[in-house]
Amino acid sequence: MKAFVGAFVLTVVTAFPAWSATVTNKDGEAAVLVVVEGESRMEVAIGAGGTESICPSGCFITTPSGDRIGLQGDETIEIVNGSAVVK
Amino acid sequence: MTSKLFATLLALWMVVAPVPVMAQQPATNVNPRHTEEVASPQAKPGEQLETARKNLARLTDLLTQAKDDDNRLAELKVEVDATAKQIIATSVATRPRLDEIKARLTELGDPPTEGTPPEAEVVTQERKRLLAERGEINALTGTAEDLSIQATKLSNGITATRRALFSNTLLKHTDINRTTVMDAIAAISVERETFMRTIGSWLTFAWSFKRLQLLSALFLSLCAALVLLAGTRRVFSPFIHREVLNEPGYITRLSVAFWSTMIPTMAMAAFATTSYFFLQVFNVLRPDIAPIVSVTLAVCVALLFVSTLSNAVLAPRQSAWRLVRVSDGSARLLVWSISAMAVVNGLDYLAGTISEVMGSPIVLTVFKSLIASIIIGLILMAMSLIKPIVPAGATLDSQGKPWPRAVWLLFVLTGATLIIAGLSGYVGLARFVATQIVMTGAILVTMYIGVLTGKAVAKQNALADTIVGRYLEKRFRMEQIGLDQAGLVAGLGIYALVILFFIPLILLQWGFQIADIQSWAYRIFTEIKIGGITISITGILAGILLFAAIYVVTRWFQRWLDGSVMARSRIDPGVRNSVKTGVGYLGLGLAGLMAISAAGLDLSNLALVAGALSLGVGFGLQNIVSNFVSGLILLVERPFKVGDWVVTGTTEGFVRRISVRATEIETFQRQTIMVPNSLFINASVGNWTHRNKLGRSDIPVTVGYDAVPRQVMDTLLQIAAAHPLVLKNPEPLAVFTTFGETTMTFELRVYLADIVNGNGVRNDLRLAIYERFREEGLGAPFPRDELEPEEPMPELALDAPAQQTAAAEAVGQPVVTEPVKRSGTQRRPRRVSVEAVGDRD
Repeated sequence: MKAFVGAFVLTVVTAFPAWSATVTNKDGEAAVLVVVEGESRMEVAIGAGGTESICPSGCFITTPSGDRIGLQGDETIEIVNGSAVVK
Repeated sequence: MTSKLFATLLALWMVVAPVPVMAQQPATNVNPRHTEEVASPQAKPGEQLETARKNLARLTDLLTQAKDDDNRLAELKVEVDATAKQIIATSVATRPRLDEIKARLTELGDPPTEGTPPEAEVVTQERKRLLAERGEINALTGTAEDLSIQATKLSNGITATRRALFSNTLLKHTDINRTTVMDAIAAISVERETFMRTIGSWLTFAWSFKRLQLLSALFLSLCAALVLLAGTRRVFSPFIHREVLNEPGYITRLSVAFWSTMIPTMAMAAFATTSYFFLQVFNVLRPDIAPIVSVTLAVCVALLFVSTLSNAVLAPRQSAWRLVRVSDGSARLLVWSISAMAVVNGLDYLAGTISEVMGSPIVLTVFKSLIASIIIGLILMAMSLIKPIVPAGATLDSQGKPWPRAVWLLFVLTGATLIIAGLSGYVGLARFVATQIVMTGAILVTMYIGVLTGKAVAKQNALADTIVGRYLEKRFRMEQIGLDQAGLVAGLGIYALVILFFIPLILLQWGFQIADIQSWAYRIFTEIKIGGITISITGILAGILLFAAIYVVTRWFQRWLDGSVMARSRIDPGVRNSVKTGVGYLGLGLAGLMAISAAGLDLSNLALVAGALSLGVGFGLQNIVSNFVSGLILLVERPFKVGDWVVTGTTEGFVRRISVRATEIETFQRQTIMVPNSLFINASVGNWTHRNKLGRSDIPVTVGYDAVPRQVMDTLLQIAAAHPLVLKNPEPLAVFTTFGETTMTFELRVYLADIVNGNGVRNDLRLAIYERFREEGLGAPFPRDELEPEEPMPELALDAPAQQTAAAEAVGQPVVTEPVKRSGTQRRPRRVSVEAVGDRD
């Protein structure tokens, strides 16, 4: 029973989603995103291959390709060729 | 059977499938028009954004109107936040279409550059169209972005306004001087006239036009009050009745104090709410009267609360029921002063509302509050003069001593602060502090009593000693354990009640609005953010509920399958048990998985952990996993079933339960041994009752050399043949096994249909052998003259080596211990233990 409890706790702990949007830059060069969260509009630079966590409670981003997308706050995003792929 | 299983699982899935979806994505309902919008691109989101824009504009207007109304502001903030969420959801909903367009554009490729052959017209057209749509979506998202910023600004603005409002009301300064006082006094008479006129006109109006409604509203609310009063008295009488006892127990005193405060207050609150509700529904109230009525009712509830509470705690007339140790006289004085403060404070609020409704100058409200705070300050200072402390050993009706220095100072200082703050113009602050002293103090005291009651009730066996406990015991025949558990549940329930009820009350007292508390509660239940992790209590609760539900259904299914289906299909009990266990674990796993996904946990994260875990499994969990897998193999291979007589290693006994990690074996001494399953897989296992229960049982018999071997063997065979449980085929055997130094050893080998009976049969046979040999004078293992007279030597030394050795020691002569033969695999029960049982039994 102890083993089951342990397994359950482990499952719960590990399976908890990280609920801020995670952006990974898959491109060879740094990507600059314009993130609008709350009242502020800021630029977030993500180096090649880098990963950033942004906006836990919903925001808008503008990708290098010029597309604007809205994020709920729990997505995983990859930047491929300057445009965002939401998983 | 399989199809039934499948059908049931399918049905189960259909029942539960919608639940995880609901629980997982609480936000899905915000963007339901996913598919439609592909058909009519961007019209819907555009409309939604337009609605949001209008909404925001409307909210901004409302905000300017409601700048001074904290309650309204709190509600507006909730609306603004909802709009902001809606805006984000709208733009999130456009994302799939944008992805589609991007994918399609990639498929189409870049437009042909100069020098390359031109592409088909259709392709160019499509690219154009897609690019246009992409632009449209981006424009829409841009709008959403702006709107979102606007909404956030608005929301933050509301928060700032509310903060300013709060500090303004608290720290607003009014000059108190001769002129203001004169103005106020002048305003009083005007207000009184207006008030009289308003009330009079309303009463006339109500009486002449709304007589029926007024009377029915009063009648209905009175009815409700009577029902509540009678009902609560009847139901809760054991809780609130104060018997004239000499020394009521601490719990009884606590719970009586708590409930005798809570129940009348609740009844009164219910009465106030219903009567206001009825008056409102029957349209009896006018807008100018409604606030006065509601404040009057609220003040009545608050007064009742404070006075019942102070009476409950201080019990001025029944000193035995007093919760705090103060003298009789001071208890009365304390109750008086607390009630007086509550009355003054309540009247202050009522007067304030009347002034507000009558449109009196603000200076009048300030003046009234000033007087109220001065009175309360004076009462507080007077309270410092009460002498309530009863020295240890003295009776409660004796003269008390003054307060301790610190308490005395606290009273004087608070009173002085109230008066000084009021006189120096900070009337709002003084009023706030006075209210907090009376109301928050009362609520905190009730909470404290409630928590103490919960703690006392939850103590072990505490409930059984109370009136309620005795009542439950008598009425429902509850056992001690049941009462104890009921006590625990009641204690936890009281905690929950205290927390859920009083914390919002205190927050309301401190100037928070219901809308705030609602949104907090909503947030607590839906998303608690810790760093990047969001935990949803509702999700987890839904998961737990789902788990419990599926688990119950599995158990039920398992029982049904076992009892109704497999019992009649004449399946081997081993298979039956395996299937039952398998179904049980399958259901458990299924329930776990569903619960986890219902709780909103992402199982894909587990893959990562599984990788990491495999290393851990290699080291730490190796045994557990090995046992687990062995358990599965046991279920499939079934080398033994429940009820079998098995021998493994040093363990021997009947299998009682085969579970996935270990198997439960009950030895003949009724000791339960958990044998890890891997032992059964890795080592050889003896099973006496594997295919059938047929088995051989041996009885060694030792006789002296003066006996005739053939006669002994014949006699043994006759004895065996006479026993009803000994099988005729294979027939019993009598074998001459050993020449000892002074004895010959024979062995009687009998076959039994059920080897489990071996013990009893062997016992019968030994008795019979002893009696027959004695009758026939067969065999005497030892020369008779060497026997000690007081300990008659048995003519037959039975096979137990211990017994033989004991006999040998008694005789003082070495006896050849009977060689106990063991086959290599120990495929026969060790007689020692069997006989030990037999001896004990």
